[in-house]
Amino acid sequence: MTFSRRDFLKTGLTLGAAGAGGMLGGGLLSGCGTGNTIKAVTTSTAGKPRYGGTLRAGLTGGSSADTLDPLNAITNVDFSRIDNLYEPLIGLTPAAQPVFVLAEELTPNAKATEWIVRVRQGITFHDGKDLTADDVIYTFRQILNPKAPAAAAAGLASIDAKHMAKLDQYTVKIPCSTPFATLHQALAIPGYSDIIPVGYDPAHPVGTGAFQLKSFSPGTQSTFVRYHGYWQTGRPYLDEIVITDYADQTSQVNALLAGQVDVVNLLSEDVISEVQGEGKNVLVSAGGGWNPFTMRVDTGTFSDVRIRQAMRLIVDRKQMLDLVFGGYGTLGNDVFGIWAPEYDHSLPQRGRDIDQAKSLLKAAGAEGLHVQLITSDIAQGTVLAAQVLAQQATAAGITVSVNDVTVNDFYGTNYLKWEFAQDYWFYNFYLPQVSLATLPAAPFNETHWNNSRYNSLYNQAIATVDDALRTELAHEMQRIEYDEGGYIIPFFPPVIDGYGTNVGGLIPSKIGLSLNAYDFKNVWLS
Amino acid sequence: MTTTTNVTAETEESKQSKPRKPHPIRDMLIKRSIIGILTLLLVSILVFAATQTLPGNAASAVLLNTATPQRLHALEVQLGLNKPAVEQYWTWLTGVLHGNFGTSLANGQPVGSLVGGRILNSLVLVVLAGVIGTLIGVGLGVLAAARRDSLFDRVLSVTSLAVTALPEFVVAVVLVIFFAAVVIHWFPAVSVFVPGTAPWSNPKELVLPVATLVIVIVPYVFRMMRASMIDALESDYVQMAQLKGVPRWRVLLFHALPNAIAPTIQVIGLSFLYLAGGVVVVEYMFNYPGLGQALVSAVSDRDIPQIQAIVLVLAAFYIAVNIATDVISLAVSPRRRLPRS
Repeated sequence: MTFSRRDFLKTGLTLGAAGAGGMLGGGLLSGCGTGNTIKAVTTSTAGKPRYGGTLRAGLTGGSSADTLDPLNAITNVDFSRIDNLYEPLIGLTPAAQPVFVLAEELTPNAKATEWIVRVRQGITFHDGKDLTADDVIYTFRQILNPKAPAAAAAGLASIDAKHMAKLDQYTVKIPCSTPFATLHQALAIPGYSDIIPVGYDPAHPVGTGAFQLKSFSPGTQSTFVRYHGYWQTGRPYLDEIVITDYADQTSQVNALLAGQVDVVNLLSEDVISEVQGEGKNVLVSAGGGWNPFTMRVDTGTFSDVRIRQAMRLIVDRKQMLDLVFGGYGTLGNDVFGIWAPEYDHSLPQRGRDIDQAKSLLKAAGAEGLHVQLITSDIAQGTVLAAQVLAQQATAAGITVSVNDVTVNDFYGTNYLKWEFAQDYWFYNFYLPQVSLATLPAAPFNETHWNNSRYNSLYNQAIATVDDALRTELAHEMQRIEYDEGGYIIPFFPPVIDGYGTNVGGLIPSKIGLSLNAYDFKNVWLS
Repeated sequence: MTTTTNVTAETEESKQSKPRKPHPIRDMLIKRSIIGILTLLLVSILVFAATQTLPGNAASAVLLNTATPQRLHALEVQLGLNKPAVEQYWTWLTGVLHGNFGTSLANGQPVGSLVGGRILNSLVLVVLAGVIGTLIGVGLGVLAAARRDSLFDRVLSVTSLAVTALPEFVVAVVLVIFFAAVVIHWFPAVSVFVPGTAPWSNPKELVLPVATLVIVIVPYVFRMMRASMIDALESDYVQMAQLKGVPRWRVLLFHALPNAIAPTIQVIGLSFLYLAGGVVVVEYMFNYPGLGQALVSAVSDRDIPQIQAIVLVLAAFYIAVNIATDVISLAVSPRRRLPRS
């Protein structure tokens, strides 16, 4: 079992190496990396990789609460900086599969109650200090600090940070208080568990990343320069990165068209033709993030499973994706974790069935149902998707009144308590996502899902080190969600970025973060 | 003993013999400044009370969808948000009286330095737009009044009416399309400075934001100037001057203009006040790192110390412009300087 795990991760590593090779070739990987959902891929005209130059990135999604602290990154622009300053033990390939970064070994015991992690030798932080086992232990103790838990704490709660032990200079034993067969997956989510040196001070942020900090003013601009001691040979290509915060897409696109920036993130589909018309490139990725509608299963209207299933049947997913994202993106099937190896692709694609929805409503005595949907501009397209849902629901005689609240209202005192609302999630693997969202003790259980069969399947799966067995258990969990769950997952939104013709090395990725999770070390300027 | 008495007597005598002359400008300055300071205090209380009614707080605004109860609680304690509102306000106020505007709840940096650089950026924008807009507006107003009902006057009047109906963001978008992004690429479409550099070291970045604001205020100044100039030109003293054979340009500049400028000064003052608010939209459109942009993000971050500092700066600007407008109006209208009996 242990052996198969190692094999699996090695496969991941090879994939990653192939990814890097693809990047060298400039878009070689774009064909296989994106699946069949991409309608238009612009190829870069930047030619062969070249060293030097300053990449200017104009990014939206930041705020004056921007931070360089990898333990507390929240916004998109935070991730853009953190993904270049720091590195995790395990990362993601463009196909969203785990790959070794700082670690060179990660092995669980048979019961998944203990992991051994060994980091690569010869890696240095920006201040010249060697990366060792101590830094790994320090990082996890900071993440799981009960007084100030980091954003990653909820997903890594099984780790028993107190009893972590240094086996040698580069090897750490990570004991788990409950079985945790998916540690390698949980660690791979970008921007949450990057390794920081012992005694890390956010005022002097040093990591092991390809770029080190030059200047930072929150919500405005930050600059980074090449780290000459970077361990991956030949990287980075760029000398410098300048990341500027933009308040909205209009000024961001204007800056791209006027040649003031080289790359922009998080575009909506309606500017694609404008950007291409002006001779710039568009990068469309089939991301694994998801923007669900959330129905509370424990109380109120949606405690009746027939009404939940009826709601899922009234959605014309294709039309919704067309209207909200111009048809880019991937259809959803009310189950999350689309690129996870455990995702069940054999579940029949749910389509629109008004007759069945009506008969379910009739059986539930809920004809002419009237519900309120709380929406907010929390992620791209959320408000529009809510309006489309309300429109589509009328066919089944359901009145959905859409209540558009401010982002602060949405995440205010009623967050996780709304009866019918929306949310957005970055890509995650299946079981780590379950631990965050659909277990009774999950910190973000917005649908208040608590199914005893499902819970016990999870407990078995999380203790199962064998990939095939664990996948089988996960499939059964997904079938329960498919039949009874509180989420409507109509689609997995695309990630649309723009870049100038002088930029090379950008490839579509399934990670769901812009610009292949802001992977600027593989980017060059012609 | 005696000397002292004598001195006192003398002083009293001299005081009596020279009664304090009423000085309307000085008196008004003192009175209005005191009222101004009280207004600022009131504004700070109102703004603080308003921020308390907003949903969520700085901690939930920072954490958004990563806000587990433990993380929320830890951050609230760290930021002092768990203390009673009155205590939070008092801490802030005593800090301000000691010249300390506190630290940002969003990123922990001192508010003074965060807001300081942005004041300069916005001030440059407002003053440039105000001065250029005033000169153009007054100049066009005088010319249009001098050639009343000519083609020039009619075209200008109709155009100014049309431009009045355009909001700033439309003007900004049109300028960007024509001069930056699509038609010709003369100027940058967004005004991004390297943080810490002065706005005048980035002159190209200033062109479009200033032009937008100028286009928005010129019609108001122009229309007021034209109307009051026409009034002045119809007055008896102007006719008298014309009959005496005073050259046309002298009549316009030395007889009519000084009398027509007083009402226009009020409109110019209003334009400056408008600019202080109008920069919010324009800064947002051009990503210009000024006060308005900072205020928008401070409100969405629930960053109370930064909201307070920016609103106080804007309120102080309003008060100062109001006082300045009245002082200048007084200064150019000798009649009104006489004490009222």
